[in-house]
This record gives sequence, structure tokens and C-alpha cells, in this order.
Amino acid sequence: MKDIREDIAWAKINKDVLKSLESPRNLYWVIVIGALLVFSVGVGCEIYQYNVGMGVANLDNPHVWGLYIATFIFWIGMSHSGTLLSAILHLMHADWRKPIYRFAEAMTTFSLMTAGLFVMVHLGRLWQFYYSLPYPNDRGLWPNFQSPLLWDAMAIFTYLSSSILFLFVGMIPDLAICRDNIHSGWRKKLYTVLALGWEGTDRQWRNFRVTYLTIACFLIPLAVSVHSIVASDFAMSQQPGWHVTSFPPYFVAGALYSGCAAIITLFIILRYVFKFEEYMTLPILKKTVRLTFAIAMVWTYLNAVEFASVWYSHDIASKDVLIQKATGPYAPYWWGMIFCGSVVPLILAFKRFQTNIPVLLVTSLLLNLGMWLERWMIVAPTYSHGYYPWTWDHDQFPSWVQWGMVFGSFGWFTLLFMVFCKVFPSVSMYEVKEMVYHRSLASKKLEVSGSQESVEGAH
Amino acid sequence: MSKRHLLAVFSNFDEAEAVVKELRNTSIKGFNANDDLVVKSPIEHPEVEEFLGDKPVYVQWFTLFGALMGGLLGFFLISGAQANFYAQIKGGKPIVPFPPNFVLTYEMFILGGVFITILGFLICAGLPARRSPLYTAKVSEDQIALLVKADEESASVLKAIFTKHEALEIQEEAGK
Amino acid sequence: MSVSNLLENWAEFRHTHPVDDVPHDPYKWAMSIDLDACSGCNACSIACYAENNIPVVGKDKFEHGQVMHWMRIERYWPEDGREFPDQGATFLPMMCQQCEAAPCETVCPVGATNHTADGLNSQIYNRCVGSRYCSANCPFKVRYFNWYDYPTTENVWPAEMTQQLNPDITLRGKGVMEKCTFCVQRIRAGERAVKNEGRILRDGEVQTACQQVCPTGAITFGNLVDPESKVHQKWKAQQVELTADEQEKDKEEGGTDLRGYRILEELRPYPSVMYMERVRESAI
Repeated sequence: MKDIREDIAWAKINKDVLKSLESPRNLYWVIVIGALLVFSVGVGCEIYQYNVGMGVANLDNPHVWGLYIATFIFWIGMSHSGTLLSAILHLMHADWRKPIYRFAEAMTTFSLMTAGLFVMVHLGRLWQFYYSLPYPNDRGLWPNFQSPLLWDAMAIFTYLSSSILFLFVGMIPDLAICRDNIHSGWRKKLYTVLALGWEGTDRQWRNFRVTYLTIACFLIPLAVSVHSIVASDFAMSQQPGWHVTSFPPYFVAGALYSGCAAIITLFIILRYVFKFEEYMTLPILKKTVRLTFAIAMVWTYLNAVEFASVWYSHDIASKDVLIQKATGPYAPYWWGMIFCGSVVPLILAFKRFQTNIPVLLVTSLLLNLGMWLERWMIVAPTYSHGYYPWTWDHDQFPSWVQWGMVFGSFGWFTLLFMVFCKVFPSVSMYEVKEMVYHRSLASKKLEVSGSQESVEGAH
Repeated sequence: MSKRHLLAVFSNFDEAEAVVKELRNTSIKGFNANDDLVVKSPIEHPEVEEFLGDKPVYVQWFTLFGALMGGLLGFFLISGAQANFYAQIKGGKPIVPFPPNFVLTYEMFILGGVFITILGFLICAGLPARRSPLYTAKVSEDQIALLVKADEESASVLKAIFTKHEALEIQEEAGK
Repeated sequence: MSVSNLLENWAEFRHTHPVDDVPHDPYKWAMSIDLDACSGCNACSIACYAENNIPVVGKDKFEHGQVMHWMRIERYWPEDGREFPDQGATFLPMMCQQCEAAPCETVCPVGATNHTADGLNSQIYNRCVGSRYCSANCPFKVRYFNWYDYPTTENVWPAEMTQQLNPDITLRGKGVMEKCTFCVQRIRAGERAVKNEGRILRDGEVQTACQQVCPTGAITFGNLVDPESKVHQKWKAQQVELTADEQEKDKEEGGTDLRGYRILEELRPYPSVMYMERVRESAI
């Protein structure tokens, strides 16, 4: 199991990563075309729904929210791991994050964009979505700032714009590398504009470091607040099964969980497609896997806390919803969530599977399936067994329109992500250089102190 | 007296450091080690700060200003809007309720902080800018460059120092 | 402007409705429904359809749960293994409870649903974007969403039927939420009429459509702050307080013989509809 070589030539790092912009494996084009097809399914469903009405999604009273909101939470959750890798681990000086944080950060941005789409397609009057934006107008009309949905809009806007800026600022030195090495075509123009004339002067680096650190510090509480606010959509409501105090931390843990699982999936795909075997090494994968396992156990714990507190609180309505989840029409999905979310991750505890790529690929996909089911199981069962008995015994299964859009969103995300990886360096060149530089410095120091000790020993 | 720029490229930091030390100790006409020396490097080196001496960074003041203004703007914009928006009652809550406004104030605090920090970064780092003509693509790869400004007559002294320390390349500003 | 407005009227912006608010003046519209008088005939529901231009969605959509009945008659019966369970059915006419602290109002992202000065829970169709959060948070599930564009759907109002649509009410297009309004168009028309006479509405001058057609007179509607109104007298007789989350009479040991209660009162939405029913072992 080889880690990144400390004596790797820096010129080689440049060359290898720049090559990923030019010549990925053929699988890349297969994935891009596949993603386009999948996305077009979603677009077709949305056109149909837009023209005919929300009814084709098979929503009804009381099932007014369905897969759209569940999948919205799923994509928002996915976005949290990028921040985990780029900001939290940055502050903790975990240098193994450096080769993989760029794509994780890109994943954050694109999954937020996907989540935003779900808010849109969920609206009954998509063409009036701007009513929910606080823009000044001559009628003095403002959105309702008390609504958790509005907090959502604000939080997502803040998070999306901050992570785009964070991604961009962190990429400026790499864009300068691209600018210096690519001498023709639209790429030359693009990189020249985006690199902002970066020259790597001491003044630029000094300000760069402080800026990067500051935004990292902002992003951590921001990421936590974003998913707490998404949790508030439910926790602030009055419905049994939603009105749970522990939802915000539970949602944040679930978010980090599905995000980490997605990082493992994308790690494996990128590593193969863009031939990054030398940078996205197995020791890094192993660390990510262990992190995922730890978060999986936190999520399992918080799940148990939620069930236990509902069970012992003797809030009859909430307890009934919980019993309905485990035994009612949603039982297969609910138990599927428990299995994929709490049992499957136990595979990750075994050392021999922590670097086994086929096993990890399947496991990470299963984990994300579990997390998607979790979101659905939060949204849907409350409707079929709420406070009001008239709404009981009436279940509504999502129609193919809903499923089609959920399916299509994966195409949209993959498309954005794959285009990004082809246009921008998905491995941070300058930070890999920093990583090998500091590692070699550290090992030099070790050698020096080691030789001194041996000299002392000779006395 | 007209000034002249010189750029010397070195293969590693130790050499660059030695050059800087020598430049400091030699008196060169029209050259001040604190103002007229720029180091261009492919990665961020903590050593650069050590041998260049402490130079202040002001980005964090932008951050402070941005975050506070964002928060204040957020709170008053929202409360003011609630008070203006027909003063509509939402059952069970006051017209200007604090908990929701604090949530949004918090988001605006971060939004303002991040945006103004980026602005501060661009201002403090002097970006976006045209690249100086004295630049080599090697700097973004693995070499370190020193950009030195001095009186025209000192150019030969500087060149001598650079050559002594095995500069890989010396670029000169085109004559005026 | 806005900051000075904030400072000047600070106290007004900080009070909480309904608990530390002044009583509604001069109107607070409320209802009382005598379930012991209800025969479950559905006339109220039909009248509501006619008065409020509610689309008739047809069998398919009804089965999909996309029916629009603002006023619905719910049936409940005991599950004690009897041969004809429907025989013991009891009825509950259910419509928007016009809560004083409505859970739907706070969650609407665009402020399309608000509390009006005369104690109604209003719905602004033009402002609604269709996020459906109000319905998700409604404990009674009495909000209905336009899943399709009913005015242009075939057979909702066949050609000649459009002639009988109520001109005082708009037709709702697809993607907006709607619900019982306590026939707000009648209230507003009545208010305008008496304004010329320089007085306020007297009890009985405005009737809701459901009240008007109820053959047993189970539905009483009126101004709760008017001591002369029937609805005020009924609420008083049943000792039901509008701004209480638990009625004094229910705290008494051994319960009470009074029939009045409000549905899901303990969730603190402060509903404006009081139901009356004698608690019995069985309906038969």
C-alpha cells in the first residue's frame, strides 16, 4: 500500500494533474453521455409536471410533500462533507485531505445546486418562485421571515455562494499553473481571466493564507447551521414525528455521513477515470473510510436517541408514528434504512475491507441509499399517521414523475461534476506540493535528530 | 534616478534564502531589503516569512467589518421589513419575533463576513492585476524567484550576487 | 424610515397574539357546530362547493386524495365487530378552524396566509407559490391544493355550468393553496352594506353558505365579541374560552356535563370553531 512519494518531482505533479484535463479514460465520456441521458429524463418529467400540474406527481392531501423534499435534504446533506474535508480538517492540520479536498469541495457546490433545483420543482407555482426572495419592490411586500423555508433559502444562498468563493479562492494558485502551461484555445483565455494575475508573490501568499483560514472558520458554523435549518423545517413544525428537538444534530450527523460515503464513491471513480492512482492513494482512502465509520456510529447513536426519546416521552401521536414506521406500509423502507445506515457500515470496521475498492464502492453506494431512505422516512410517514384521524389509512405512493426527477438529479449532479473535473484541476497541485514538502522536511528533521541521538549514544 | 527591476530564479529555497541574506548585508544603491524585494514561490512557505521579516496582513479587519455589517444589516433589514409588511400578524407570534430574526442575522453575519473577506483579499493581495513582465512559468512549478528593484547602476552588483548563488535564470526589464 | 418605524411602534410589534393581545374589535368571526344535531346529510358541503366555486374533481382524482371539499363530512364508527358498522357512524363537519394562532401562518415562506383584523385566517391566492408548507403543518389537514389547473380541465365545470359560478369569487389556477374562508365574500359585502348606515353587522345579517343550508340548524356563525350574538351565547354557555389552551371546566375533577369542546386544543392553535357533542358509550 503506497502513499504519495515524498520525493515526487513537483514538475511531475503539474504534468500529471494537467494531463487529467486533457486525456481521461474513455469511461469519462461514457459517464458524461450517461449522465446527460439520465438528466434528460428528469427534465422531461419536470416539463410534464410544469405543464399539467403538481397532481401528476401523485401528491395529495395530506401527502403534500414527497420525494422532492426528501431528495432535497439528501443533496443538502451530501454537500456537508466537502466542508468537513476542506475546512474542519484544514483547521486540524490533517494533511492527508490535500489531494482530495478539491473534488469534495466541488461536490459541495454541485450538490447544493442540485438541492436548489428540488426546491424549485417542488413549488406549485415555479414561475413565481421569486416571491420568496427578499427583494425591494414598490408594494412593500416582503417574504415571511418567520418561515423555516425562508431560512432555508437564505442559508442555502449563503452556503452556496460561500463555497463557490472558497472553491475559487483555493483554486487561484492552481489556475495560475494552468495558465502558465496551457498556451492555446479557450482554456488559455479562461485560466488567464480566472487566475487574476496570480504570480505567487510573498504578499499574495500571505494574504491568501489568512483569507483561506478565515473562510474555513466561517464555513464550519455555516455548514452546521445550514443543516440545522433544514432540520428546522421539520423540528419547527407541529407534526408528530417531525417535532423532535434532537433533529438538528441528527441531520448534521446524517449529512456528514452521506457526504463521506459519497466522497468514497467519487474517490474511487475519479481515481480510475482520471488516472489519479498516484495522488488519491489507498492510505488516504483508508483514512476517509475510518472517518465514515466513526460518523456512521454517531448517526446510529443519534437515531437510537431519537427513537428512545419518542418511546419514553409518552407523546402518543409521535409514538404512533414511530410504530407506523416500523410496522406500517413504509416498514420495508424503514428497515432498509436501518440496515443500510447502521448494519452495512460495520463492513468498514474490518481492516481488510478498508482498502478493498470493489467492496468499498458497493458499500458506499449502499450507505447513500440508506441515507436517502432515511430522508424519505422522515418526510413521508408523518403524513399517513398525523394528528388527525381522518388522514389515516390513506397512503400515496410517489408516481413515476417524482421518481423520474429523483433519478434525473443524479444525472445533473454527475454532469456538473464531470465537466468540472475536466475543466479545472480536481487535485490541488500546490497543496500536494506543500504536503510532500512538509513531509520531507519532517522526515529530514527526524533523520537529523536521529543522527544526533546516535552521536550522543556514542559518548 | 531611474529604477530597474531584476528577476532571478533559483532551484530551491535554501539558495534563495542565502541570496536574501547576502542582499541584506550588502549595501546596494537604491535597494532596501524590506521594500524592494519580492519572493515568488510555487507554494506557501513559512520560511519566506522568516527571512523576509514580519509583514502585516490586514484581511482580518475586512472580515470583522464585513461580518458585523452583515449581521447588523440582516437584523435591521428583516425587522424593518416585518414592521412594514402590512404589519401582518402571524398567529401566536409577535410581528417582530426574535428567534427567527436571529437565525437570519446569523446567516447574514457569515455572508457579510465571507464576501467582505474575499474583497479584502483582492484588495490586500492586489488582485486582479496584470502579470509583471518579469515572470517565469517555472515559478508555478517548482522554482523560486526573487524580484529586486534597485537603481540602474546597481544592476551589475545584483547580477553578481545572483550568479554567485547559482541563479538558473536572470531576467531583466527591457531598457527604457 | 423602517428603523424609526421600528422604534416608535416597538411595543405594538412585540406583543403576541392572541394571548397578550387586545380582543378583536368590532368583529371576531367564530362558529359553533352542534354534532348532536348533525345528520350527516352533506348539504353544507354541497352549498360550499356552489358558493365558493370549488372544482369538482371527479372520481379518479377523488380516489387519489386530490378532492377539494373545503367543508367535509367525516364519518367515524366504533370498531366493536358489529355486523353493520356504518350503522353507528357519527359525523363531523370539518373545515378550516380559523385558528387564532394558526400553525399554517408562521411557516408560509411568502406570507400568503395571515391573521386578519376580524379574526380570520386569510389566504392570498395571488401571493401563494405553492410550497404547501401550510398544509404540512396544519393539524386538521383542511387546506386543499390545486394539483391541476381546474378551470381549464374538462368536466370540472361543463360549458353551461360556468354560468352558475359565483361572480364574487375568483377561480383558482393550478399550484395555489385554498381553504374555507368563513365565506369572507359575504362578510365583506355585508360590512360594506352596513357601513352606509354607520353601524356594524348585527347577528344573523351574514350567514355562511353551510350555515344557511343546514336543515337541522347545527351550524351557528357570528361575531364572538358581540354579546347579543348566538355564537357568543353558545360559547359562553359551554364555558369555552377563545384564548385558553385548556378550558377551566375541563380541569374540574369528574369532568363536566357541558358539551362544548375544540378539536386539538392542546396544540394551542386556539381554533375559532367550537363543537358540541355529548360523550356517549355508543352512538346507538
